[in-house]
Amino acid sequence: MAGPIEQFEVKPLVEFGTVNVPVLGEQVIAITNSHVAMTIAFVGVVGFLSLATSGAKVVPGRMQAAGESLFGMVDNLANSIIGHEGRKYFPFAFTMFLMVLSMNLLGMFLTFTATSQLAVTVTLGLIAFLTVVVVGLVKNGVGFLKLFWPAGAPLLLRPFVGLIELVSFLLRPITLALRLFGNMLGGHVALKIFAQFVVQLGAAAIVTGGLAYALIPVAALSLGMTVAMTALEFLVAFLQAFVFTVLTCIYLNDVVNLGDGH
Amino acid sequence: MASTPTLDVQTPAPGDLHAETQATAEHASGGLPQFEFQHWAGQIGYLLILFVLLYVLVAKVFAPRLRKVMDERADTIDTAIAAARSVQTEAAAQAEAARAEVEKARADARATAVAAKQRVTEEFNARLAADEAVVNARIAEAEGAIAKTRDAAMTNVSTIASAAAGAMLERLTGKAATDAELAAAIKGAA
Amino acid sequence: MDAEAAKYIGAGLATLGMIGSALAVGNIFGNFLAGALRNPAAAASQVGNLFVGAALAEALGILAFVLGVLMIFG
Repeated sequence: MAGPIEQFEVKPLVEFGTVNVPVLGEQVIAITNSHVAMTIAFVGVVGFLSLATSGAKVVPGRMQAAGESLFGMVDNLANSIIGHEGRKYFPFAFTMFLMVLSMNLLGMFLTFTATSQLAVTVTLGLIAFLTVVVVGLVKNGVGFLKLFWPAGAPLLLRPFVGLIELVSFLLRPITLALRLFGNMLGGHVALKIFAQFVVQLGAAAIVTGGLAYALIPVAALSLGMTVAMTALEFLVAFLQAFVFTVLTCIYLNDVVNLGDGH
Repeated sequence: MASTPTLDVQTPAPGDLHAETQATAEHASGGLPQFEFQHWAGQIGYLLILFVLLYVLVAKVFAPRLRKVMDERADTIDTAIAAARSVQTEAAAQAEAARAEVEKARADARATAVAAKQRVTEEFNARLAADEAVVNARIAEAEGAIAKTRDAAMTNVSTIASAAAGAMLERLTGKAATDAELAAAIKGAA
Repeated sequence: MDAEAAKYIGAGLATLGMIGSALAVGNIFGNFLAGALRNPAAAASQVGNLFVGAALAEALGILAFVLGVLMIFG
């Protein structure tokens, strides 16, 4: 039987060849199952948004109400965290939220989860991080560096606190990426292991017979666990997208309202 | 793994490419598939493209559309609330006016009733006064008649008295008194 | 001890890191509940903060989990 981590394998479906990329080494250029999953997620999001906004009426239909509740949630988030400039950064936060949410949720239906790929989560983390850096530099210029100069700390401690600030700032994309990656990886591995228990223990009980029938309650317990964990994974899929968006907004707020004491 | 990896990497025929990558994958690490770096660039590039596409779509198409509808709804609700509020104040004003009218009507009615009562009372008083006058007149007339009768009676009485007194005097003294003397004497006795 | 056995022991030890994460997440939700019962009116507005805090605490446990997985499979 396939191991619990086999579901994370990236399998090329159509290959075009290989190229050498400086940092990553030899790269396969191919359409893989990861690309397929991302495409389905993207098409799903675009389809959902088109359905929700096409013929948008003042009195919303079912799809429009669903779209509006997501829209309103992220809108509130951006406005409450970033403040009156939140509207400007809303599309970014909304895109991030929809991307992560759709890929997370798709992982619950397909055998492949795009957000359980470190390459994907690192990319998302770096997009958020670089956006923050670029926005900070464009808005504040050199004043961006004030982010690492804690004005509240005693003068002697400032360089050290600033250094810690700098390190934690640089760690942001890594923690963003690892949180999402770890949650998706862990959840799906645990699901797979419990699901395997059901099959393996059940098969062992039936094949061996006799005393091994005692394994059937254990298999049933595993089945219950699998169901409960599936529900939990749906929650986690949503929650991680939400958290990713909240943190992106918080990081954006740091540089948008730099020095405002917001 | 479905197919057994071939380590024959010297033949880069298109058909063997799949086997070749699997071989390099096995070679790179026996661990988590996520750390097989040969697929990273493809995923990163593709995700970047999708992200930018979705960002543009959201920023240029979907967000404005939804924003417009939501603003419109907020406007509609605001105007509806304003309209409802104005209607409410109008209704309150009308109710106030109606109450004032009712109040006025009641006051009018009360005034009418008072006036009617007054008129009736006056009429009654007037009639009463008229009746009283008639009765009084009659009483006065009757009293006059009585007085006349009494006076007549009284004159009769004095005539009788003087006659009686004259007779008694004649009997006692043998001498008749004149009428004038008698009258004076009776007057003095009376 | 051969390297294979050390790997599994290491992975097992790495999972101990989840204890801290479990305590943290329990602490967050427990305190939220205590606060929410004191002032239910303000509870709804803090659900976002609750989940962000829980996710931050949970991330460290996830980190321990990833390390464990890396030790076994990496």
